[in-house]
Amino acid sequence: MTPQPAWMRAVLQGTVRYSQDHALPGMLHGRILRSPYPHARVQRVDVSAVPEDVVVLAPDDVVHLGRYGCQIADQTVLALERARFAGDPVAAVAAASEEEAARALALIDVDYEELPAALDLDEALAGTVLVHERHQISDNDAAYFGIRPEEGTNVCHLFRIRHGGAERGFEEAEVVVDETFETAAAQHAAMEPHACLAQWSGDRLELRTGTHTPFNVRSDIARVFGLAEDSVRIVCPPMGGSFGAKTFVHLEAIAAALARKADRPVRLVLPRSEEWVTNNRHPSLIRVRIGARRDGTLVAKAVDSSIDTGAYADCGPGVAVKIGYSAVGPYRIPHVSVDSRCVYTNLPPNGAFRGFGATQAAWASERAMDLLADRLGLDPLELRLKNVLRDGDVFCTGETMHDVHFADCLERVADAIGWREDRSGKGLCVLLKGMQTPSRASIAVEANENGGYTLRCATAELGQGSRRALSLVAGELLGVEASEIRFPNPDTELVPYDTRATSSRSTFMMSRALEEAVRDLRQNGTRGVGEFHNEGGLDPETGQGVASSHWHQGAAGAVVRVDEETGKVDVERVHAAVYAGRVVNRPAAELQNEGAMIMGLGTALFEGVAFADGQVTNANLSDYEIPSIADLPALTHELVEQPGAEIHGLGETAVPPVPAAIGNALGSLGIQVTELPMTAEIVLAAIDRRDAKDAR
Amino acid sequence: MREPQWLAPASLEEALALRAEHADATVLAGGTFVGILMNQGFLAPAALLSLGGVEELRGIEVRDGELRLGAMVRHRAVERSEVVRSGWPALARAFSLVASPRVRNQATVGGVLADADYASDPPAMLCALGAKVVASSVAREREIPVDELITGYYETSLRADELITAVSVPRVDRAVYRKFRSRSHEDRPCVSVAAVRDAGDVRVVVGAVAGTLQLDPDACALASGRPLDAELAAEIGARYAEAIEPLSDVRGSAAYRKRVIAVEVRRALLELEAG
Repeated sequence: MTPQPAWMRAVLQGTVRYSQDHALPGMLHGRILRSPYPHARVQRVDVSAVPEDVVVLAPDDVVHLGRYGCQIADQTVLALERARFAGDPVAAVAAASEEEAARALALIDVDYEELPAALDLDEALAGTVLVHERHQISDNDAAYFGIRPEEGTNVCHLFRIRHGGAERGFEEAEVVVDETFETAAAQHAAMEPHACLAQWSGDRLELRTGTHTPFNVRSDIARVFGLAEDSVRIVCPPMGGSFGAKTFVHLEAIAAALARKADRPVRLVLPRSEEWVTNNRHPSLIRVRIGARRDGTLVAKAVDSSIDTGAYADCGPGVAVKIGYSAVGPYRIPHVSVDSRCVYTNLPPNGAFRGFGATQAAWASERAMDLLADRLGLDPLELRLKNVLRDGDVFCTGETMHDVHFADCLERVADAIGWREDRSGKGLCVLLKGMQTPSRASIAVEANENGGYTLRCATAELGQGSRRALSLVAGELLGVEASEIRFPNPDTELVPYDTRATSSRSTFMMSRALEEAVRDLRQNGTRGVGEFHNEGGLDPETGQGVASSHWHQGAAGAVVRVDEETGKVDVERVHAAVYAGRVVNRPAAELQNEGAMIMGLGTALFEGVAFADGQVTNANLSDYEIPSIADLPALTHELVEQPGAEIHGLGETAVPPVPAAIGNALGSLGIQVTELPMTAEIVLAAIDRRDAKDAR
Repeated sequence: MREPQWLAPASLEEALALRAEHADATVLAGGTFVGILMNQGFLAPAALLSLGGVEELRGIEVRDGELRLGAMVRHRAVERSEVVRSGWPALARAFSLVASPRVRNQATVGGVLADADYASDPPAMLCALGAKVVASSVAREREIPVDELITGYYETSLRADELITAVSVPRVDRAVYRKFRSRSHEDRPCVSVAAVRDAGDVRVVVGAVAGTLQLDPDACALASGRPLDAELAAEIGARYAEAIEPLSDVRGSAAYRKRVIAVEVRRALLELEAG
């Protein structure tokens, strides 16, 4: 038996101290009081009934503090005049125990005046209710993030691609498919909830918080409290899962404000139900028009996308950008037009979720490809292979593609599911997903006095296996066993800058920086520092530039059986092919693929945050369903390697293609579904539509 | 809001006395239902009457040919009991389909009946089997048929001073339980159908679709003393679908449930006939 790495042993023995396990002497426990209304004026917050030994944070305490938001600074520490979603924090307490804190919440009396609310994308786009009276975008943000709000509307960012001339292209098209696709909000459902421990020493703030974006949190929190960034220290303990939920500020501002008022450390751990009002995945409404010649050559594509970012933007503008180019798909199309909107609603904020928009985009784009194949009477695989991007082709952003493996991934999944023998009940999906560009990674390597080395970098461990992967890379570069590498928790006082541990970028970016650091160490003796950056970016007005310095590429194939009397889908098989370039840690890479496919399965069949009048109605893991072990199909996959190739991140790649592969498998039976999740009821309605059409 | 008073009787006698004394106490058995409600803030009981220490409520035995399950018997114990599996296999199966092993190791026979949650599996099967709940108080003991126990969403005909102490289940010739899940395998049923053939009579109970268990004796009478062929099974299914006014929830709309009821009742009857 292979000896378990020390980290795995600690996980299995329960000795890892996750974010929520950290404590300090004299620490108080925080809880948040949330608005019950999706949109309301907060008229009065009466805390007089709260016992004196409980610290209360009310709007008056935070009114002088700055705003935060990773791309748009639209969020205050507590809702000030207006609560913008059912769940918006209006007050917070810190007490000696969690139970006492919970009891104190019930003693706070808030007067609300309910306001009309925008409770879905349609209502928000109508613009009768403005979630924010004016867009909180500084010139700096607009320039730095390319944020382009539409004044007087709820659209906080509009990203566009103009490539060729789409309308001219459609004139050349002999067949056009025009369809709109929807996805529901989804919850990350990480095993560990959000957790944060805040401590002040004079004017210095230290946060031990479950985040994998330490430097982004540091700059936002410094802005809130008017501090220099180096007066804020962020330490990232390992997280019990995140899937994107623990990026950017969520609890940190409230925990820090409570701790300052209490003059004691405060720990804030979210009760499970509050996860659903803290960060979910963006629901989307994506209209795709795609035109081709009779022989299947694609000539034009127009994408009109809106995502619901909830009451605060979080990283929604970035998701809108990624959806914008991902929904074009990995195809050669001479004429492309994309309008991708990020829209405020009076619903809980949506943010990063494993795939960062690629799931919503692939659902729309790849379902449309199968509808087009159907209209053309072509094999969906052949239609894709005819148009798929290959080395040297130009993408809709104007960038030339290199190290391209889309066709290979497609062929592999098609072979795995026996596509060419029989296509009935089978579906395919190919995926293009960008990596954070531009970005910067740096790392320090230190020789330990008693042998071995220490890595200091901002890459946090959220279950993705980065510690192990980077230790293996370091061990190889330094000529020692990975077990000789120490990898302390990221700490902004001790590690050099990194953009963030998201976007499946860490293994690739950090290992490149590590090569530099090891070179530096060899030259300088005991310490070496290395940095790597990727360059690029897109013009938000035209979408031209470099979307991604290298591409995450993959494909999935699915085999389904349907109970046609009830619409219940039985997924028998899912196979994914993921381009890895070079695999660093095979067991972990395989687990990433398996976990990703399971997450894709949940999105495909079950998962959707349900709302009634703006309230989440399934904020528990009984009513909100994630796949159980008994739901799993035969899951197989392959990691595609290439001699001499760069490492490619693979933490997300197998999520986005799974729903569309399953949807296309249903499509092969004439069951055309356009919304996610594909619940039994939705599938039955699609069967009815097929049968009604057949009867005509 | 204050901490609920914790009442932990060590015997049935003490439990019944405490029940009589504390009309406002919420009974705590396995905690899988009460726990969720308390966590979500839907329930803030003044007192919790915990039956965890009452040994008398834990037995599984056969008495006069009937299965008698103590109120504090866990789902997992019913599912794994040799006695239940050999004599009441469909009942063992219905309990085995609830949620996950973690939940079944905790949830109890008395709890799943007393909480009267429409989306539970065991009540429909117990009802079709003709089971009777033993309700006890300091003064008396009475038996209540399961369909008379559950009177609406989370409502029962139990009196304020009563505790469910056991459930007794007659033996039947044949029984089947079908659980239709619209989502995950660990989900609660969207529609459940329990069907029993006993001494020539057929009894079909549809669960998880309304506040109470759904029986249609007239429709069932069509199969009395007759073999169930596909046509008859479909007719009874259609009758059930027509008669029931289902609810809508995250597992399916009312209209969808009507469709599924017709299908699943038919399938249950054919399965029953196939043996």
